[in-house]
Amino acid sequence: MIRLLTVLFAIAFFTLLITQLVSDKGRRSLVLALRSLWLHKLRAMLSVLGIIIGTLSVITLMAFGEGSMHDALEDIKRQGATNIIIRSVKPPDDSSTTRRTRIANYGLTYADYERFLTVNSIVRRVPMRIFPQEIRNLERKHNGRVVATLPEYVDVNTIDLACGRFLNEDDDRYMLNVVVLGSKVADRLFPFGDPLGQSVRLDKYFYKVIGVLRDRMPTGAAGGTSSQSAEDFNNDVYIPLHTCKVRYGERIFIRQPGSFSGEQVELSQVTLTVADMDQVRPTGAVIRDLLERFHQKGNDWAVTVPLDRLEEAERAKDRFTRLLAVIASISLLVGGIGIMNIMLATVTERTREIGIRRALGAKRRDITMQFLIEAVVQTSVGGMIGVVFGLGCVFLIPPLAQWLFQAHLPAQVNVDSIFYSVLVSIGVGVVFGLYPAWKASRLDPIEALRHE
Amino acid sequence: MGAKPLPIARVIGLVKNYYLESVVVRALRGVTLNFDEGDFVALMGPSGSGKSTLLNLVGCLDRPTEGSYFLGEEDVAHLSDDQLSEVRSRYLGFIFQSYNLLAQYTVVENIEVPLLYQGCKLTAETRARCVRLANLVGLADRLDHRPMQLSGGQQQRVAIARALVNDPHVILADEPTGNLDSRTSDEIMQLLTDLNRAGKTIIMVTHENDIAAWARRVVRMRDGQVETDTRTEARPGGLPVPESSPAIQASLGMPSP
Ligand SMILES: Nc1ncnc2c1ncn2[C@@H]1O[C@H](COP(=O)(O)OP(=O)(O)OP(=O)(O)O)[C@@H](O)[C@H]1O
Ligand SMILES: [Mg+2]
Repeated sequence: MIRLLTVLFAIAFFTLLITQLVSDKGRRSLVLALRSLWLHKLRAMLSVLGIIIGTLSVITLMAFGEGSMHDALEDIKRQGATNIIIRSVKPPDDSSTTRRTRIANYGLTYADYERFLTVNSIVRRVPMRIFPQEIRNLERKHNGRVVATLPEYVDVNTIDLACGRFLNEDDDRYMLNVVVLGSKVADRLFPFGDPLGQSVRLDKYFYKVIGVLRDRMPTGAAGGTSSQSAEDFNNDVYIPLHTCKVRYGERIFIRQPGSFSGEQVELSQVTLTVADMDQVRPTGAVIRDLLERFHQKGNDWAVTVPLDRLEEAERAKDRFTRLLAVIASISLLVGGIGIMNIMLATVTERTREIGIRRALGAKRRDITMQFLIEAVVQTSVGGMIGVVFGLGCVFLIPPLAQWLFQAHLPAQVNVDSIFYSVLVSIGVGVVFGLYPAWKASRLDPIEALRHE
Repeated sequence: MGAKPLPIARVIGLVKNYYLESVVVRALRGVTLNFDEGDFVALMGPSGSGKSTLLNLVGCLDRPTEGSYFLGEEDVAHLSDDQLSEVRSRYLGFIFQSYNLLAQYTVVENIEVPLLYQGCKLTAETRARCVRLANLVGLADRLDHRPMQLSGGQQQRVAIARALVNDPHVILADEPTGNLDSRTSDEIMQLLTDLNRAGKTIIMVTHENDIAAWARRVVRMRDGQVETDTRTEARPGGLPVPESSPAIQASLGMPSP
């Protein structure tokens, strides 16, 4: 609706502009407007300050809104828009069993994993066991994480191989001791050589390196308000799930260093893929129901639907847009009044000129157009200056924020916003220039000629 | 002599009142005058006698309270504002006491202004015409100067060139030499006389007898009425119309559209 209106307005304006520019009269007015603008640079600058600030803030805020939206979208894409992620979560430390045994027994089970099969919108299930593990190569060691999973892992996560290959069916079926290294692990353990074909030690066993990944972007951090904290994948090593079961047993036992307590988990995470986008949220609800039914003793699981982040991002963008509307309209109002003020002063100042032009044959309409063109030239130049400064802010603020406060401020220039803000500045020129221009045209030629 | 040619401008019983809060100023109280083609009229009279008021009415800058005004065949006394603008841009040229050039424009651009408001396209041809006119008034080497860079006499010459550019029926001048010294005044008057000899109709307001002496006809006004209307012979040595210089004739011709 708004888009349609602005487009209509733009068309009307440009036809007007073209009819004006076709006549030499209009072109002269335009040149004169530019000349007098150049002559009174400071004055013009001050009078369109409101418009400069208005467009500047619109461009900048739109860019930040767009940037966080874009970040969220990218993040969702990385996590998979049709995925549902279920994690094992350590419940709050008040259950009596924990205190007695000092071993927390919680999380997703193989039984849960089988149960997900009953939900028929699910097309893929990828279980994962994730636990901290020291990874060694001779005397080098690195504290990373083991991710034991199926070859389908590549279908639910965007990963990039630097060399070699990822796990395959045979690795899993024959329970081979093979491993794919995350980029940081590879860097640490094999700083000088090619890790492919070498072996690394996990716990008591040696595993042959069959692939190395490129750097992976962490997910879940952007947008801030998400329930999970950022996951850094570059410390991970990947082994087949079955290999893990035989090497580490049915349950993963995690010792807390320096204490007698520990944790036992069967599966750390299951990522489900749903056939189609519309099914994601209903399926998420079904999964939650299912888990609630079978995990009566506590909240030892969490369901994340990446698509929910979209809503969050949209809300954030809405907030930005509302703020923007308020700031923009205030500053444009101020800018418009500034223009009207300066144009009224100009008309008084140039009363004699108006008289001369009238005597030489200018019609009222000619005078109106002349001053209107002048107002529009000022506001549109103001708008363009605002756009330039705004773009400057968009390109300067994120690196500055990163450098000064280590804050991640995503910004992305919105081309529409540039177009609209220039258009709106022109509109402000027309609306607020109309009254002074009309006033100029109503002057009596003789009175105007007599004016000193 | 043959039949008298139709007057180019006629005012009949022209009355102009200004209505102030309590009083009515009767600036013109029934003025009837004929202006022939090729006339060179000096309007004289004491201050406040209504010379400027009359000139403004003849110049279509204002409308009379009563009476009629024919410009050629057409009654222009009661035209609308826009129509008056049209008449001014087509048939009239103005020369003011204070030159009234547009400060932001160069000499040529100033001369072009009336053409703009006529709706002309500015072409190489119109530009050439403006340059010819600048040449005629002796400013060929000042085309790109601004009014601020010119002397009063030079500015008035630009104004004269501007008044000529639309090939007007009548040129109206309100004290054209009022701000100039006597030598420059004479130069300007010589220019106007040359134009008149080339066939231009000129109506000029002046206070000075010396200046009025250049004209062919002197109309004296008092209290908003015509007191005397005397035809003087043109200045000694003045040439009749057909013998004016071909250069001036050529400069004045409108380019064919
Ligand atoms: N806009 C106006 N409002 C009221 N009165 C006016 C106005 N213009 C002119 N008058 C009055 O009309 C009368 C004639 O004025 P006009 O300007 O025609 O005189 P003038 O003959 O040109 O005088 P001067 O030689 O001083 O220029 C004067 O009494 C003047 O006060
Ligand atoms: Mg006067």
